Amino acid sequence: MSANPSRVLDLLGEAGLTGRGGAAFSTARKLELAQRHDATLIVNACDGEVGAAKDAWVLRQHLAEVVRGADLLAPSGRVVFAAHGGSATAERLLLARLRVLQVPRRYVSSEESALANLLHGGPAKPVTTWQPISAGGAAPDERRLAPTLVLNAETVWRAEQITHLGAPWFRSYGTEAEPGPRLVSVSVVGGAAPVVLETVAGEPITSLLARAGAADNVGSLNIGGVGGGFLTAAEAGESRWQRSDLAAYDLAPGAGVIRVLPAQMCPWNDVAALVRFAADESARQCGPCLFGLPAVADDVELLVAGRGSEATLARLRHRVGLLPGRGACHHPDGVASLVRSALRCFGEDLDAHGQGRCDHHHRSVA
Amino acid sequence: MTSEQPQSLAIDRAVCTAHGICAGVIPEAITLDEWGFPVVHGAASSTRGADAARRLCPVAALRVVGPRRKDGDRR
Repeated sequence: MSANPSRVLDLLGEAGLTGRGGAAFSTARKLELAQRHDATLIVNACDGEVGAAKDAWVLRQHLAEVVRGADLLAPSGRVVFAAHGGSATAERLLLARLRVLQVPRRYVSSEESALANLLHGGPAKPVTTWQPISAGGAAPDERRLAPTLVLNAETVWRAEQITHLGAPWFRSYGTEAEPGPRLVSVSVVGGAAPVVLETVAGEPITSLLARAGAADNVGSLNIGGVGGGFLTAAEAGESRWQRSDLAAYDLAPGAGVIRVLPAQMCPWNDVAALVRFAADESARQCGPCLFGLPAVADDVELLVAGRGSEATLARLRHRVGLLPGRGACHHPDGVASLVRSALRCFGEDLDAHGQGRCDHHHRSVA
Repeated sequence: MTSEQPQSLAIDRAVCTAHGICAGVIPEAITLDEWGFPVVHGAASSTRGADAARRLCPVAALRVVGPRRKDGDRR
């Protein structure tokens, strides 16, 4: 296929494709910057978010299309596929004789700047960027990362579909504001591996759960893993899978993750586990994350165990308030939203924990 | 540019090791959290102060972005 870079750009702009890795930024705008700086393309297939499985699915089902898409987006041929080292996805890519960036399994390793850093000889840790990585990341007077375009595997697949099926085809799915087909990974906490479904903006969340066979016994939902938050079953029942509905709860479709917390499970057990995971999986390089996240995890665990007080809760809120905007990457911002969302959704449950019982179990907390 | 123009600040969080000197030089803009890492509350009130804090940072983590903009400051 002839890859006329400006035509590809126009098509993606017309289609309104946004990044499927979480941030939902305009792919055309990112690509335009990357083309101007002759950036290397990293196709991110790490499924880095908790509960995410769609990158692996895309490469299992549509590898040839993703490879074609990558060639269209990076006519220079400088393309590398990022996957967790030793994963089935990495194996698949190696078998296909593609260039593979083997990424350590740490949560923050598959963040955009961490991938660019790893590709260019640094550790798989985020770096502070003063301008977009597609343009080289650093300020003109400082060490630059080579310009790097990081796109999620599904985004690259969608770009390929758009170039051969057309922008009107893409826009025939979803809504005016959020066009195009998209994937979502649905799982039940403590259950089987996630089910990956094709959906569009506007599908009721209850319908998604039913299609995934996860509609029974829903206590609440975790949307977006560690970088997301929560919905009660009632809220989920009234919401469609689209930005405008989820924004009412400070959530977003993001990386396309829905985790069902079963009714018999105390949601705070999941919150505490996610926050501790987030603390353990930080890059341990920025102070606010290195010290702040373990402290936040400690506070949550104290409260969940019924050993916290009003003062613990106040300290937790204060510490969470200091996380956003204080890391090289947005990991601390994500954890702050996660905890705030948990307090909004399950705050009353936590009060019960403070009185030595968990209304969820109708028994005392350990 | 006058020396009284408020200056927006940004911190390279991956480089900062909590010396805390910035908070002493421009306390109107920066305080320290419970572990000694800076919290940026707003712009430094003068170019001179912002510049001194930048030069005195032992690890060169403080960046003076320029005159304060309407869209707020990085924390």
